[in-house]
Amino acid sequence: MALTAKSARIGEPVQRKEDLRLITGAGCFSDDVNLPGQAYAVMVRSPHAHARIRSIDVEKALAVPGVIAVLTGRDLLADGVKPIPHRPFSPHPADVTLANTDGTPMFTAPHYPLAIDKVRHVGEALAMVIAETVAAAKDGAEMVEVDCELLPAVSNTAAAARPDAPRLFDEARSNVCLDAEVGDRDATAAAFARAAHSVRFDTWVPRVTGVPMEPRAAVGAYDASTGRYTLHAGTSGAWRTKMDLAIMLGVAEDAVRVITRDVGGHFGTRGMLYAEFALVAWGARRAGRPVKWTCERHEAFTTDYQGRDLVVEAELALDADGNFLAMRGSNLSNAGGHTTNFSPLRKGVEIMSSIYRVPAAHFRARGVVSNTAPTRPYRSSGRPEVLYVMERLIDLAARQCGFDRVELRRRNLVTEAEMPYTNPFGMIYSDGAYHRVMEKALQLGDWAGFPARRAEARARGKCRGLGVANYVDTSSGVPRERAEMTVHPDGMVDVIIGTVSTGQGHETSFAQLVTEWLGVPFDNVRILTGDTEFVKFGGGTHSGRGMRLASIVIWGASQRIIEKGRRIAAALLECEPGAVAFRDGAFARPGGGRTVSLADVARGARDLTDLPEDLRGPLAAIGDETVSVAEFPYGCQVVEIEIDPELGTLEIVRYSAVDDVGRAVNPGIIEGQVHGGIAQGVGQALMEQCYYDPATGQLLSGSFMDYAMPRADNFPFFNTEYVEIPSTTHPLGMRPAGEGGTAPALGVMINAIVDALADYGVKHVEMPATPERIWRAIREARAAPAHGKVM
Amino acid sequence: MYDFSYHRPVSLAAAAAIAARDGYKLLAGGMSLIPALKLRLARYSGLVDLGALGGLRGIAREGNAIVIGALTLHAEVAASPEVARAIPALAALAGGIGDPLVRNRGTIGGSIANADPAADYPAGVLGLGATVRTNQREIAADDFFTGLFTTALQPSEIITAVRFPIPQAAAYCKHRQPASRFALAGVFVAQTAAGARVAVTGAGPSAFRLAEAEAALGKRFEASALDGIDISPRGLNSDIHASAEYRARCVQVMARRAVLKACEDRAGGR
Amino acid sequence: MATVSLTVNGQRVSAEVEGRTLLVQLLREHLNLTGTHVGCDTSQCGCCTVHLDGKGVKSCTVLALACEGATVTTIEGLARGGELHPMQAAFREHHALQCGFCTPGMIMSAVDMVSRKGHDLDERTVREQLEGNICRCTGYHNIVKAIQAGAAAMKRS
Repeated sequence: MALTAKSARIGEPVQRKEDLRLITGAGCFSDDVNLPGQAYAVMVRSPHAHARIRSIDVEKALAVPGVIAVLTGRDLLADGVKPIPHRPFSPHPADVTLANTDGTPMFTAPHYPLAIDKVRHVGEALAMVIAETVAAAKDGAEMVEVDCELLPAVSNTAAAARPDAPRLFDEARSNVCLDAEVGDRDATAAAFARAAHSVRFDTWVPRVTGVPMEPRAAVGAYDASTGRYTLHAGTSGAWRTKMDLAIMLGVAEDAVRVITRDVGGHFGTRGMLYAEFALVAWGARRAGRPVKWTCERHEAFTTDYQGRDLVVEAELALDADGNFLAMRGSNLSNAGGHTTNFSPLRKGVEIMSSIYRVPAAHFRARGVVSNTAPTRPYRSSGRPEVLYVMERLIDLAARQCGFDRVELRRRNLVTEAEMPYTNPFGMIYSDGAYHRVMEKALQLGDWAGFPARRAEARARGKCRGLGVANYVDTSSGVPRERAEMTVHPDGMVDVIIGTVSTGQGHETSFAQLVTEWLGVPFDNVRILTGDTEFVKFGGGTHSGRGMRLASIVIWGASQRIIEKGRRIAAALLECEPGAVAFRDGAFARPGGGRTVSLADVARGARDLTDLPEDLRGPLAAIGDETVSVAEFPYGCQVVEIEIDPELGTLEIVRYSAVDDVGRAVNPGIIEGQVHGGIAQGVGQALMEQCYYDPATGQLLSGSFMDYAMPRADNFPFFNTEYVEIPSTTHPLGMRPAGEGGTAPALGVMINAIVDALADYGVKHVEMPATPERIWRAIREARAAPAHGKVM
Repeated sequence: MYDFSYHRPVSLAAAAAIAARDGYKLLAGGMSLIPALKLRLARYSGLVDLGALGGLRGIAREGNAIVIGALTLHAEVAASPEVARAIPALAALAGGIGDPLVRNRGTIGGSIANADPAADYPAGVLGLGATVRTNQREIAADDFFTGLFTTALQPSEIITAVRFPIPQAAAYCKHRQPASRFALAGVFVAQTAAGARVAVTGAGPSAFRLAEAEAALGKRFEASALDGIDISPRGLNSDIHASAEYRARCVQVMARRAVLKACEDRAGGR
Repeated sequence: MATVSLTVNGQRVSAEVEGRTLLVQLLREHLNLTGTHVGCDTSQCGCCTVHLDGKGVKSCTVLALACEGATVTTIEGLARGGELHPMQAAFREHHALQCGFCTPGMIMSAVDMVSRKGHDLDERTVREQLEGNICRCTGYHNIVKAIQAGAAAMKRS
């Protein structure tokens, strides 16, 4: 939508404040930062997927002109640099707990920023060369001699979990780090035993990578006189990065400052500190100069935290009428070369049943390491994978048992009367109008008119398919957030907050909140983030927590400002505080007459000497909240595609989406988030894959030449709408809207494709559903009509 | 990149002399060479930028042929009224190379000298039976592309122009590899006085002709003439984007679509 | 090392560069014009798009020395006298940017598109002409709308 707002209040599609600098090239992204006297780092990276390091000889490298230092894992250990403080699960009370069924602790191993004894994936850094120029550092890197013993590698997820697979960690019993279960095994077995129907679906949701358009970069600096480190880097949370760096560098929290300015995309890929951030900080101390490192795109492909990669075996049990009775199965998540993060496994398995009524369920949840890049949450962490499984099970059940696909969903969607609803894994959905939203999506996608369109396409020799998929997102993330709000005597209002905008337009949408609640001009509001010099705490941006928590703490701070202001205004207006009214940014006496603005009050607080102690000084307040409930945004997508069976090529004809956002702050921004989320989902469904050679662990998709990025010509205009049914668990009714575009996308796309090919007898197509895969599916189904395989 | 000395001669003779030096490489638009240098896949002591040789740029009609100067940009070929009139398939081919920004820099000479197995021009050069003119001789298209990134060019031989005989009908259809957008299989078909020509790019180590298809189309230049002609996957590329079998299928479909288009354009007087 | 002299955003500039110095490096590192971005290493993403002698090119794939005597316009040079170029204004109006990293290249490419394809751009044309510009945030929907609107606005101005 064009951003034409009537005001800058909540609900208006206000044009973004951040745009002026971004459209004129005045943004400040990580690589735009340069410090006087800086040197440059280049990493020596392993060409092997799995190897034991025997020795690293840096003599020749040190002799290269321009090289200042060459540092290895040994130097790192000697200096006491600690491993990256990965947290296998982001702590949140609303998510389920995954623990080894046998009671043993899950296996984790330290991940040092430079490999110490072994390299466990192609691209893992072995040494850092610091030089006067990037070119000299590269020349130096070429001269570093690494002697290693090649080990057999395993990159395939299922293969890595086998007992005889090459072992990544000698001290572990196997590559499987976590073997947990959720749900009720007995109740589930009983339900399956009496079921009239059951459907089985086995699939692998392949690995993809976030590809934020800005490759990561960092400049580290060290002030020997103060012992302070400064890191300039794009992150998704400066405060968390600071805390993690302080741990790694073994210094006090306030000995580290992190500055994050403009960030070119996040998507989960920037969700954790990278090895290089610690290396440039440490390197700056060692070299006595600032050290800058910029990731090249091929480097990003091998070393960005990657996403998804889940092997699923699943079954759904139904009764004769099509009511879901139970579901069970097993999820195997590929953590990559380090025990970095198992959050997607958890976020997925706890919501396998989506927003359907499933009385009983039991799932095994395993995490396995393999000789691939470490994985972490990626857009809608864990949910697109499992929602795809559920939506495929439903379509398979419909076809197999003779139900209508939409009717089966209608029958089993949890109703509003059943809210709050506890799913079979213990997750409590507080509220949701699932039927209403699905009906709206079906209308938007013109489900009813499809048969005629399918027939028309068939006459042209093309295959049209229609898919529907519902979604629910579990939005949790770091539960605590903090905002510090100050109204200045000149009328400017500053809000310091611990989130970081990586494209979501926080400078604008958060400012709209302040404009609404304090009644101050939009242009007077400044949202300040990203510098730990003034951000005292922050959870960063992820898991749909940005607006969700920011709104709560900004509301809290606003109320406190108003209350404090009311008391000061009372002094200025010479009346009782209780009689003072606040409206449109000003305080008024009863009966009209004089008003004082917030700026007047701020001036009064600064200048008046006869105010009580607690009212004097800056007109400021803090909002600091910990929110233990999760939010469950939801929605529905309907997609129509057309396949040319000659080559299996596919065109998206119509993409419709309806999301319940609770209460929209900036509809333009919300719509943009849905569009981008859709694009990432479609990208995975149709074309993206981190392709590791199963035998060698080499990454064969190491550039845009081989990793297929969706372009403008892959999409039509999207057909999106939102509804606003206030959330009952958010004080302002808001639901996160950042990930709903992606969550149902995998399921809806594959459902549409299978629908298009149903006449051939095709039952399923694995992702990415490339033209060749579609073409082969048609051929194989035609060749073997009697036994169309599921996979 | 590894560093190199940069030269920008203003005459063809000077360019040839400098290019003859050890470890020197010719630079045209740079759309293939510079990416390779950036990744340190190649190393040269000197680069000879041909960009100042204005005489190598331009499009002219020469009897029953179109002659395109080696430094003519893809965008220029795509937008040329001369080419559009005489060989619209060639204009369309040029208009589909890379992306619009690449087309503003890339040149025909640079493209065919590089001989990327998935580049579009080799299919057009081979498909039209063109003649590559250099500062030393003329090389027939059939003799030009010899292997993976390999041509018949001598080390410092400079392409000056490519001469394309005007066909009776022609078209180019390609199926794009979704990541690189290069041809996964691209087929250029031409109906000429000397018979039909069918050239394939993207499917093998270098551009090649399909003899069986040419024979069939030579008898009858219609899409149905290709019915029953199987394209063998043997010798075709197989990678993460497509198996040899699928590439064979793409070649078959692109060939048929190209013939259909060529016939359509011919009927429409193009 | 050699000296290259050219005009950037209307100003004559000179710099000492190596043979291997790319135009994007000249702009970002020598001239401190950091609005032009580097997003890939295979000349595909378009984040580095500038205008060289009036044509859109990928500055990451052009040697600085090849620009001797040339005229370059970067994103910083698009606005005139404090007033946004119609294409820039259109991007803001249509929310055609989220993180903003691909945006300078996208805008420069869009302006070049208009010079080649005219002011009345249909959806299909815009999408095809954006093959050399990758965006990860927006799904391209608003970018296409912005370019259509910006192209029309360029005609009026």
